[in-house]
Amino acid sequence: MIEVLSSTALSTVQDLGRTGSLRWGVGTAGAMDPLALAAGNLLLGNEANAAAIEVPVFPFVARFAEDCAFALTGADCAARLDDQPLLPWWAHQARAGQVLTLAAPQPAAVWRASRAYLCLGGGVDVPEVLGSRSTQLRGAFGGHEGRALRQGDVLRAAAPGMDTCPTGFGLVPPALALPLQVDGVAAMRVLPAAEYLCYQEASRAAFWAGEWKITPQSDRYGYRLAGETLTPIQPMELRSHGIVPGVIQVPSGGQPIIQMRDAQPSGGYPKFGTVIEADLWRLGQAPIGSRVRFIETTWDDAVAALGELQGWLDEVRRLAGLHRWQRGRN
Amino acid sequence: MMIAELQQLAASLAGTDIGLLELRTPHGHVRLRRDGAAPENYLLEELQGHAGAPGPLSVATSTVPAMPPAVASSVGVFLHHHPLRGTPLAPPGTGVQAGQTVGLLQIGALLLPVAAPQAGVVASMLQAHGSLVGYGTALVELHPSMPPAADA
Repeated sequence: MIEVLSSTALSTVQDLGRTGSLRWGVGTAGAMDPLALAAGNLLLGNEANAAAIEVPVFPFVARFAEDCAFALTGADCAARLDDQPLLPWWAHQARAGQVLTLAAPQPAAVWRASRAYLCLGGGVDVPEVLGSRSTQLRGAFGGHEGRALRQGDVLRAAAPGMDTCPTGFGLVPPALALPLQVDGVAAMRVLPAAEYLCYQEASRAAFWAGEWKITPQSDRYGYRLAGETLTPIQPMELRSHGIVPGVIQVPSGGQPIIQMRDAQPSGGYPKFGTVIEADLWRLGQAPIGSRVRFIETTWDDAVAALGELQGWLDEVRRLAGLHRWQRGRN
Repeated sequence: MMIAELQQLAASLAGTDIGLLELRTPHGHVRLRRDGAAPENYLLEELQGHAGAPGPLSVATSTVPAMPPAVASSVGVFLHHHPLRGTPLAPPGTGVQAGQTVGLLQIGALLLPVAAPQAGVVASMLQAHGSLVGYGTALVELHPSMPPAADA
């Protein structure tokens, strides 16, 4: 069990998402950086989809009420367990009473990221709702009581596993293993979407050529970007239609919005493009105020990119499993 | 493991200067040694990583008690600092506890700690950051943490 000591807002319990419920109007939710969540779970021998705590605002402080194996992934938060500094992307163990502190990620870090993941042995034990343990903030269900964590909340680890779960090893973060940048700026691959060709050629060219700033009006629901104005060839009016995380909509102001994990399941703005599923974790980690670039891609390359991520996770699962096996043997 | 695979491994080894290859898998344990003359006990000690066992590393040459270095627990790439951080885990002069992480070993996506075998002070890094090292390679030299003698 851990108890949240800080009063920091917006931390939520997430897994890889509530897929398959869009037909009922239920959004996907899930980790903004699913790769970090899955990797943290694999370090502990959990299922990749086990629930963990996503921390977007710092400092985050929690006390372990029992001995517990845990893993930290995502943004490097100069974490400490009591006074002892902890490595990022690493499986650790805590004794009952120890206090974990996550500080704000450094803007000058090797990898500029915004969200940390705290995974617990066996996963965070919250009830499954519609096939997922993710917090559905709009509907106020799932996760821990359907809401963000508050000071005093107590969460249970499904299998703290102190004696059975070897810790003390880590991973090279995928941001370094699978880097994607254009001119030193974090980049995401985008598929042109239904209304792409309805935009002026200059706007289309500017979308790929320019840098896009992630404005403060960006959260788990969506990222509002600032950059070159995207102008349609002629004004468009659309009926509402289904949308998924990654869809880039352009309201009449010409500044795009990218739907993120807590996006509503339908919308009526023109769709300029879609950030491919395999790159949503990169966007999910891009801090407010940072700049991103977009790379035009194809369906086949988008599918291949997803395969590359799966390959990385498979390798992590294999190596972590082999290491745990060897440790158990010695 | 099939005999054909062993033959293939042996053939590959023939073209290298590797003296000992040990392969541990969930299905079995294979050790291929090029020089059959080496004493088995010595090899076993080395394999089991008995840092305190008598061996070439513990030969004292001065009045300062020799300390075993931190060694590689596996083949891998030796890192002085975490890939996300610019500062070394244990620069020379750092006082460390037994078992404290003084470097990292990267094996593909995996990072393993290089642990100090005893409490002491980090004296020097014996391998460069990013260098490929073999099993048992001495990586970090440690000195005892006791204060220097007054007549030094």
